Amino acid sequence: MVITAASTIETVQSVFPQAIVETVEFRDEQTLVLKPEHLVEVCAYLKQELHYAFLETVTAVDWPERVPRFDVVYHILSLTHRCYIRLKTRVGQRREEHPTVPSVTGIWPAANWYEREVFDLFGLTFSNHPDLRRIMMPPEWTTHPLRKDYPLTGFELPEPHWGGQVPYTTDPGVGDYYQQTLRTSDGRGLNEKRQQVNSEQEPGTFARSAEDDTSATSSTTRSRTQAQSQDGTRKG
Amino acid sequence: MKQQEIIKNTYTLDKDPTQTQEEGPHADTMTINMGPQHPSTHGVLRLLLTIEGETVIKAIPDIGFLHTGIEKTAEAKSYHQALVLTDRMDYVAPLSNNLAYSLSVERLLGIEDEISEKVQYTRVILAELQRIASHLVWLGTHALDLGAMSTFLYCFRERELILDIFEYISGVRMMTSYICPGGLQADLPPGFNEKVRAFTSIFPARLQEYHDLLTNNQLWLERTRNVSVLSKDDAIAYGATGPVLRGSGVVWDIRKVFPYSGYERFEFDIPVGSHGDVFDRYLVRMLEMEQSLKIVNQALEGLPTGPYRVSNPKITPPPKWQITGSMEALIHHFKLFTEGYRPPIGEAFVRTESPKGELAVYLVSDGSAHPYRMHVRGPSFANLQVLPRMIEGGFLADVVAGIGSIDIILGEVDR
Repeated sequence: MVITAASTIETVQSVFPQAIVETVEFRDEQTLVLKPEHLVEVCAYLKQELHYAFLETVTAVDWPERVPRFDVVYHILSLTHRCYIRLKTRVGQRREEHPTVPSVTGIWPAANWYEREVFDLFGLTFSNHPDLRRIMMPPEWTTHPLRKDYPLTGFELPEPHWGGQVPYTTDPGVGDYYQQTLRTSDGRGLNEKRQQVNSEQEPGTFARSAEDDTSATSSTTRSRTQAQSQDGTRKG
Repeated sequence: MKQQEIIKNTYTLDKDPTQTQEEGPHADTMTINMGPQHPSTHGVLRLLLTIEGETVIKAIPDIGFLHTGIEKTAEAKSYHQALVLTDRMDYVAPLSNNLAYSLSVERLLGIEDEISEKVQYTRVILAELQRIASHLVWLGTHALDLGAMSTFLYCFRERELILDIFEYISGVRMMTSYICPGGLQADLPPGFNEKVRAFTSIFPARLQEYHDLLTNNQLWLERTRNVSVLSKDDAIAYGATGPVLRGSGVVWDIRKVFPYSGYERFEFDIPVGSHGDVFDRYLVRMLEMEQSLKIVNQALEGLPTGPYRVSNPKITPPPKWQITGSMEALIHHFKLFTEGYRPPIGEAFVRTESPKGELAVYLVSDGSAHPYRMHVRGPSFANLQVLPRMIEGGFLADVVAGIGSIDIILGEVDR
């Protein structure tokens, strides 16, 4: 029996009618959207009965306005029948910060790192995953960069090129679940220190301590001396 | 609250190696770090090795040191700008990345049929030259890791010839971005055929030199035979692709199975190993270089003339001379470079056979001018996942051979 992507869809539709949300075809690529509670069951069937032995990748897509919010996408391949199919499952109810997806590592061991990656970058947890920890970001990171509400540049700077000064209070808008900043614990202290700097400080110059005042008088640029005098009056 | 605990607990890294040190059957074990700055880890790979004497009991790869957020950055770029990012993933084979990305965008746009034969042939020639260049870097560094210094020098000598060809056509040696959605960045310059022919005529003799240096070398055989063996089932289960999968005896090549860019026109064989050890993976790549050369020769033979990109003004910019004379052309030019093109809502996943294995780009479009999501299925990521299965139970000195034989590029692993 020759199995193709189209015949796979038909077979799954007849065997698991309760598991399917919808099927999509776009540019000759077949997509099967499954309910998360039936995912493992269908995947096991696909591997054992329909010989989809090869998992290519697991990834996710974030649709922040939609409920459920996340698409988890699986690309699987049959080496014997030379066909492929895309599986999707949708998770993430409103106000659910870390939705849970059943892990498919028991079926395809290759899913291990891919699910860790999705966990790291999207914040989806995978139940029954043997080793769920961050893989790309540092282990103490608290947020999930590939979510759409995660800012691209890290911070919204108040002024361009403001000497690297960044207001610590800027909320990147990832939610109030954690106290959100995009820096690690060390960086937080640094940000707090920076916030204490006078806002009239010249852009591009560094905050100076009192003992620097005497040694830095030989500064050549005009802006630098201006900044010093401003600082000096403030401190005086 | 429970969720929070799960997340908090999962953040703790590397708890198992220290545990095995304390108790259990392996009381005399030691945990050592290999990398991230070890010269034979090919970049910034860190391996946590638990060893007992000289034997590796457990290996935990730790990656992410080169995480550059390419997938995130691409979401803020237009489709054409994101092409430049793909060069930086597998920086030893940038043109293969360009090809995978371009094919994916073209499928999303639905212009796959409009790509001319000339473009397809040129892409094949460049992708195969890139495969040879990538394999040469691999061969040189792999041999260097195992102590064969001179091979490294020879390999880089020949790779320079290929980079000269790339420089000749695009002006850049490595990050060319020459293959782009819709065709090529520029037309092939006159004299391209002669340049490539000059290379293909001398390369077989050079390839023989590498064989003379290594293939029957007793030292090389002892370092590579029956080392880091990967079984067929493990290779499939853990998602290994490319020479790693073929070295384990699985006949699988995307160029043959799902031909893209006109690969079905060319005759070539797929070298396949039998034991799945380092030597088999070595031999598979060596023979692949021969096959690549064969494809390049066939493609050069039949290289047709024609346009170097599609003539759709919504996707490719009009010629410069039209802009001063035609209002239409000026508008198209302006729209393309300020906004870009908007593929229809949908998604595309195109598989290609890069030098390292299956490279696939998954693009999701929401109808805007930016990719809504770009995911890259890099071969190195999956191949690295198999590494513990290869090196556990082997000697510490063979870890280097194992890492070298899977040909990882950390830029692609971490993306």
